[in-house]
Amino acid sequence: MTDARPLLTIEDMRIHYDSVRGAYKVVDGVDIEVHRNEIFGLAGESGCGKSTLVEGILRLIEPPGHIRSGTALFRPFPEDPERSLDLVQLDYHEMREIRWKHLSYIPQGSMNSLNPVMRIRDQMTDVVMHHEPGGQNEINRNIAAALEMVGLPESLGTLYPHELSGGMKQRVCIAMSMLLQPALVVADEPTTALDVNVQRAVLETIAHLRDQMGAAVVFVSHDLAVHAELVDRMAIMYAGVVMELGTVYEIFDNPQHPYTKRLIHSIPALGGPRERLESIPGMAPSPLAWPEGCRFHPRCPDAVPACSSTTPRTIELDTGRKVTCHLFDPDIDLEQGSA
Amino acid sequence: MKPLVSYVITRALMFVLSIWGAFTLAFFFFHLIPGDPVSAYLQQLEQQFSQTVDAADAAAMAAEMKARLGIDGSLPEQYWRFLGNVFIRFDLGPSFINFPKPALEHILEKLPWTLWLLGTSTIISWILGFVVGGIIGTFRNNFASQFLINFSLVISQIPSYFTALFALFLFGYWFVLLPTKGAYDPGIEKDLFNPRFLLSVARYAIMPAMAVVMVGVAGTLISTRSLVTTILGDDYLQFAHAKGLRRSHILMRYVLRNAMLPQITGLALSLGFVLNGFYLVEIIFNYPGMGSLFLSAIRLLDYNLILGIVLMSITVVLAATFIIDLFLPLIDPRIKLND
Repeated sequence: MTDARPLLTIEDMRIHYDSVRGAYKVVDGVDIEVHRNEIFGLAGESGCGKSTLVEGILRLIEPPGHIRSGTALFRPFPEDPERSLDLVQLDYHEMREIRWKHLSYIPQGSMNSLNPVMRIRDQMTDVVMHHEPGGQNEINRNIAAALEMVGLPESLGTLYPHELSGGMKQRVCIAMSMLLQPALVVADEPTTALDVNVQRAVLETIAHLRDQMGAAVVFVSHDLAVHAELVDRMAIMYAGVVMELGTVYEIFDNPQHPYTKRLIHSIPALGGPRERLESIPGMAPSPLAWPEGCRFHPRCPDAVPACSSTTPRTIELDTGRKVTCHLFDPDIDLEQGSA
Repeated sequence: MKPLVSYVITRALMFVLSIWGAFTLAFFFFHLIPGDPVSAYLQQLEQQFSQTVDAADAAAMAAEMKARLGIDGSLPEQYWRFLGNVFIRFDLGPSFINFPKPALEHILEKLPWTLWLLGTSTIISWILGFVVGGIIGTFRNNFASQFLINFSLVISQIPSYFTALFALFLFGYWFVLLPTKGAYDPGIEKDLFNPRFLLSVARYAIMPAMAVVMVGVAGTLISTRSLVTTILGDDYLQFAHAKGLRRSHILMRYVLRNAMLPQITGLALSLGFVLNGFYLVEIIFNYPGMGSLFLSAIRLLDYNLILGIVLMSITVVLAATFIIDLFLPLIDPRIKLND
């Protein structure tokens, strides 16, 4: 790591959806750092806010959703790592300049993310022409190179989206995301709805892109197995906040937060005796009214009285790992709360 | 190009078959009406002149008339003759209104007026409705869009003959701005190369066209807006925004391009129904088109002419459908030619 400044620093990000019943606090105070050239994983069950968080970074939140508060400092300029842009504050035109050139996106629903009535090559040309206009020959060469990198033939460029399989469309999206060699690629559930063979190919492609192009990747998935295989560091989200954050080895070998422990124990292990899987009791809470105190406490087997009264702080452990749980807070009275 | 050839041949065969089927239905429908037009006509004459004709004379006269009009003989005989006349000799038989003048000639005299007035209005209202609908669908939260859509919802339910009467009252009676009847200034010689004649034709068409366009625009506008609203929620649109494309480009190439495909079919169908939908408007403005012709044909029980007009309407509707079938593969890549 040549410079210590992270590529992306998200602080106190809150994204709410207004409704007649009140605000849905889908993302409610997230702090995350993404470093250059790393793959950062966002994990958590459905509805924990991981997709909304990345949509917020990409500024794709549509009303009634809005970014309530927070900053997302983005430092995409390698020649000037100190220079930062707050993605939350950029206006439409400034954001349009950043998009794709520095910050690209591999969408969740890649099945339907391509314009059905445009050839693949035209859609790829489209994005290049909007950011770095150049000669048609050069653009075609870049497109061919990008398609080759994801293992697709150049001739595929003349096809329409409906002529491709789901995995091919996903790889077209990945090729597209790398066309302008952005500093950060946000991949939102890129392997969901693909069968395991294609999943594997897609994951290898993403890892390969990071190794070859030097981009950082924010990788969103509910699938812990995929995280274990791909990411460097990861955050476990629950109910709109980060519960635990650390390197992938720390998280899987030695989970600290009660939620992380339960989450990891709910995946079957390959080999070994077959056992009944542990599940987490109860249902995920509603973003309309998160539980008081720690949001996980109604389902947490280790809960103490403080958990239902006081919101836990994020505690940094020895190796830089962060846990949001009272059990790790030396300053709190576990019976009474009140830090 | 082989699938294209077989596609065209299949469609053409379908077209011919539908024409034959519809013509046959029309033929038998008119022949299954109790009584025959000739006896009805003779009875009308008797009543008109308060004279009784000797039964034998009447029968002889009827037989003679039927022979001249080409409606004598048994039903199968008549049917075969009808097929031969229509498909081989392009002959609809003589008209009653203006006896030996062929019915087809009557129709061909009036057809250009109707095609000009209603064809042009239909195309204008489609273009206007599509563009405005696309824009208010994209910016649907501002006041002007809200007003326009609600206004259109009301207008679209008003029959065109009512808007015609209203226009007549407003511009022909209250503010005397536009001519109220006819298709051109009778003082000008009818000559297609005379600019004064063409100008007069355009001026006389304004009011009837306005009546049709008002209602037509509202319909296209409503359906385009709802199509656009759906497209705006599609994944490929969010992806297009994430790519940092210009908004105008997204509107043209992603939104309108996709909304256009179903709307083109709608345009073809409404062009087909030009001959059927707006007879009343023509009659209100005394426009010398098919509407007025149809009305006098019915009044005078002009059997050949009525059947001829019905056949012409059928042909126009089916031809419009056929033509659009040929064009759709060119504009929508998803249509498969081989099935």
